[in-house]
Amino acid sequence: MRIIIPDICALGLSFEIGGFRLLFAIIATYMWFMTTLFSKEYMSHAGKKGRYYFFLAITYVATTALFLSGDLYTTFIFFEIMSVASYVCVIHDENELTLRAGGVYLAVAVIGGLVSLMGIFLLHHMFGTLTFEELKPLCEALLKSGDADAIRTLFIAGGCILFGYGAKAGMFPLHIWLPMAHPVAPAPASALLSGIITKTGIFGLLVLSVYVFPGNGQWGFIIVMLGVVTMLLGGILAIFSVDIKRTLACSSMSQLGMIIVGIGMMDLLGEENTLAARGTVMHMVNHACLKLVLFMAAGVIVMNLHKLNLNEIRGYGRKKPFLKLVFLSGSLGIAGIPFFNGYISKTLLHESIVEYIEVLSEQGSSNEALFRVIEWLFLITGAMTLAYMTKLFICVFVEKNVDADLQAEYDEGKPYCTPLTKFVLAITAFVMPVFGVLSKITIDIIGDMGQGFLGAKELEHQVNYFSLENLKGGLISILLGALIYLVFIRRVLLRNEDGREVYADIWPKKLDLLTLFYEPVIMVILPAVIGFICRCLDFALDGVILFLRQTTHKQVFKKEPIPAKFFMAHILGSLMNRISSVASFFMGEKVHRKKNYVLVLAGKKTLMDQTTKMVSASSAFSLMMFAIGIIAVVVYILVV
Amino acid sequence: MNLYVLVLPIMIPILCGIGIMVFPVKDKKIRNILLELVVIINTILTLFILFNAPQGTLSLFSLGDKLVMTLRVDGLAAFFAGIVSCLWPLATLYAFEYMEHDERTDVFFGFYTITYGVTMGVALSGNIVTMYLFYEALTMVTLPLVIHTMTKEAKRATRKYLYYMIGGTAFAFMGMVFYVLFSHNMEFKYGGNLNIIALSSHIHVVHLVYLMAFFGFGVKAAIFPFHGWLPDASVAPTPVTALLHAVAVVKSGVFAIMRFTYYCFGAEVLKGSWAQRIALSFAMITIVYASTMGVKETHFKRRMAYSTVSNLSYILLGVTMMSPLGLLAGMSHMLFHAIMKISGFFCVGAVMHRAHKEYVYELDGIGLQMPKTMTAFVVSSCSIIGVPLFAGFVSKWKIAQSLFEGGGTLEYAAVFVLLYSALMTAIYLLTVAVRGFFPDSDALGKMAHDEEKASDPSWKMLLPLGIFSIAIVFIGLKAEPILTVLKTVANGVF
Repeated sequence: MRIIIPDICALGLSFEIGGFRLLFAIIATYMWFMTTLFSKEYMSHAGKKGRYYFFLAITYVATTALFLSGDLYTTFIFFEIMSVASYVCVIHDENELTLRAGGVYLAVAVIGGLVSLMGIFLLHHMFGTLTFEELKPLCEALLKSGDADAIRTLFIAGGCILFGYGAKAGMFPLHIWLPMAHPVAPAPASALLSGIITKTGIFGLLVLSVYVFPGNGQWGFIIVMLGVVTMLLGGILAIFSVDIKRTLACSSMSQLGMIIVGIGMMDLLGEENTLAARGTVMHMVNHACLKLVLFMAAGVIVMNLHKLNLNEIRGYGRKKPFLKLVFLSGSLGIAGIPFFNGYISKTLLHESIVEYIEVLSEQGSSNEALFRVIEWLFLITGAMTLAYMTKLFICVFVEKNVDADLQAEYDEGKPYCTPLTKFVLAITAFVMPVFGVLSKITIDIIGDMGQGFLGAKELEHQVNYFSLENLKGGLISILLGALIYLVFIRRVLLRNEDGREVYADIWPKKLDLLTLFYEPVIMVILPAVIGFICRCLDFALDGVILFLRQTTHKQVFKKEPIPAKFFMAHILGSLMNRISSVASFFMGEKVHRKKNYVLVLAGKKTLMDQTTKMVSASSAFSLMMFAIGIIAVVVYILVV
Repeated sequence: MNLYVLVLPIMIPILCGIGIMVFPVKDKKIRNILLELVVIINTILTLFILFNAPQGTLSLFSLGDKLVMTLRVDGLAAFFAGIVSCLWPLATLYAFEYMEHDERTDVFFGFYTITYGVTMGVALSGNIVTMYLFYEALTMVTLPLVIHTMTKEAKRATRKYLYYMIGGTAFAFMGMVFYVLFSHNMEFKYGGNLNIIALSSHIHVVHLVYLMAFFGFGVKAAIFPFHGWLPDASVAPTPVTALLHAVAVVKSGVFAIMRFTYYCFGAEVLKGSWAQRIALSFAMITIVYASTMGVKETHFKRRMAYSTVSNLSYILLGVTMMSPLGLLAGMSHMLFHAIMKISGFFCVGAVMHRAHKEYVYELDGIGLQMPKTMTAFVVSSCSIIGVPLFAGFVSKWKIAQSLFEGGGTLEYAAVFVLLYSALMTAIYLLTVAVRGFFPDSDALGKMAHDEEKASDPSWKMLLPLGIFSIAIVFIGLKAEPILTVLKTVANGVF
């Protein structure tokens, strides 16, 4: 179904409903419903609730509209609205950290939006349309035509749009906002940010890969590479993090990287991309559900303790079986343990890489080795997921806090959340095993709904997720993950400080793309260089005028004794002096000369002269310019 | 309709302005009501004339041989006159509150109203000589407004203003003389009126003269390197900066360039020439320059002035595309920029008037004290940046479209310039808005200690702001009717 609203917002808006769009509209609705219920308790002590709920609602509308959009322009418009509206939710606490993180979030959104707008301009110029369905054949024809110039322009346009949406999807090197904004935002907002708002970026990437570069190997390769870097970096950052919400944020980045790899594989596989497409859609849905429950569980902890550092919240969940179960369900899901939802989508993504390796080995391509490495990196990322989730789980729910008093306080058994919150947590956590076990009637249907939009063919035969071959990948990941946890996290990150075992924050603070690269470039170098040139240029014209004033148009001031020069003033002034003295004599007053009229008149005359001089100087200057003009015209007329 | 009605929109404000100065009304309240009445009547009259445009040209008098003063209503004239007449009553209303504590308001409002008439003259003139006359007069009648505060900076700024203007018109004069000598007749005609056959062997001279005129008229349009007067002139009272330096004066410059390019020389003559490329590159340099300086500038009003400089060159980007689409883009940005910049300047003025703060670093938390004003500021900022759903986006889209249609390397570079400028605009406007609404804890603490708290101004200031904000959003949502009308003008139909 298609809805078009023409003549609005310059180009008109269009919406489509069905399949993938419907799926994500439903997911968005589900997430907003749950987080809004959760917000009731979480925000109960916060100020400015009206503002929070208002912008939350706007973000919801924009996000849903974005998923339903039928052309890139509509997508872009709602993308921008969503970015700005969610900014207000992110900075709700309005402290220094929040504002800084919010600033970065807004900056990335604005810059990304502008750059992608540029790409959209280009696309619109090239094809005269932005509707997905119409773009696809046009782009396909262009890519096949072999017109190098046009293809280059298409890649530039694609690159620009990728910049904007990739930034939202946390893609390297534009992921900087992600680990900053998530920890400081209110937990429900973090859940939405991570769960669904990043997916809008993915949606943009999907549109690019499926409709603008359908089956284009080059494009797919770029996307896969970016995805690989993103997922690895996210995983590594998450392992090092000692902040529960930051870990989850970095985990989001890593999972998004996996999704991006899936998108790239779709283009690389061309016609045979059903597995990759299904894996991508499923992992998008799974990740949304997982992050919803994980961030809300973390939110319960933050709501009670107002702390995020792992060493401080350590042991909080020991005597809280309900919370423990909820978090465990999320952890198992995201770590890709069989019988939980994450396993299924990760398996499919993994299979798609394996499938491409087979294709490559049939062709005897040299890229085969590279993709074998990518396959292993994918498994390692899965392993890292398991490792950092284990770290979180053991730290918060198994170990005891180093501070025994604090631990006793944690174990007191006070109620830590309202029944409503518990209800929300229970429902959202219940999804993981259901998706994992009853995959045929849940997640497979999701895959069927989603793959049409991604241009994938129907699945030839049902995938058996628990076949030995498929389990193998999962098991390798689990084993590697256990290894990373035992060797690296327990041995290296868990350090002994003052006789206490604490999780050390050994990631160097300076190693941050934002402070190392973006801020200096955007805030210092760019304005400084251009500003310097501008300032130089700024004085160009004024300098010429100043130079002229000092040389050819120098003003001359002469100092003369006043009375001698002003003859008229002298005569008139003395006459008036006489008259006044005579008058005062006849009036019968004392002869008391109040004013010397000579001086008064002389003063007036000086003032008049000065004014005339100034006026003549400035208009002389103007006239000079005028004269130059007329002379030039006369000369021209004579010559021509 | 009798053609002589065309004189009315010009003469009524001029006579009214002189009247105020010669016969000052004691009671300021009565004077204000009278003045506002005259301005509104003049606006209604103007709009009535524009909608029932009389055909033909009105010849007023002759300065000899070819130099006839004529008035006429064509598409572009109606467009500019429409903008000016719609904005003036609101600006006057705003000025009443802004100037309430000032002295010499009779002189101020006198010249303020005269300027209305003169600007209408620029809009309605039927040939280049008439336009030149009003164009010069505009410089003269705005001088007392710029110098109004009589401070040292104001005097210096005024002198600079005068130098630049006179220098600019000297260049423009050359272009005019050339055109008068080598045209069939002097009337404005869409597509140009130049005797191109006679000039065919001297085509480079034509281009050179065009460039001279471009830069000559470009002084009022603040094109680099003749932009210096604009930021300096922001020492004038805010109603003046807002209306004159965001609407009347600078837009007269742009309007003159449009007239000269499309109605005198003709776009076809210039398309693809080196003159076009130079004009385009200077517009690009101006944009980069002004948007960078906007970031560096900390004086709030000067920052807005730099924003004006860069936005004027957006219009020129469109105009120098020498295509109907380019003219359409230029015109739409001219219209939308008039609305959003006047709104922006009014917010700045309201902040200066109520909170007595002039520098952006003083403005932390101002949004909490003056929420309505700052909301209007956010709306106008978003529009100036070019955020979708706001008016500015529509015109930027059109400009980019016209640039792509041009298709050369320089045009593509210009799109990047647009992008860079949008980024810089976002930085220098949004930082103010964001810090205004979300101050950090230091500023909050300082605000709590502040003795006098600023508050939103009265309805006289808020009404214009409200109308402008609604207009910005409304146009952003539904610009198509306006664009359709502008399209007929840009294609030379009307």
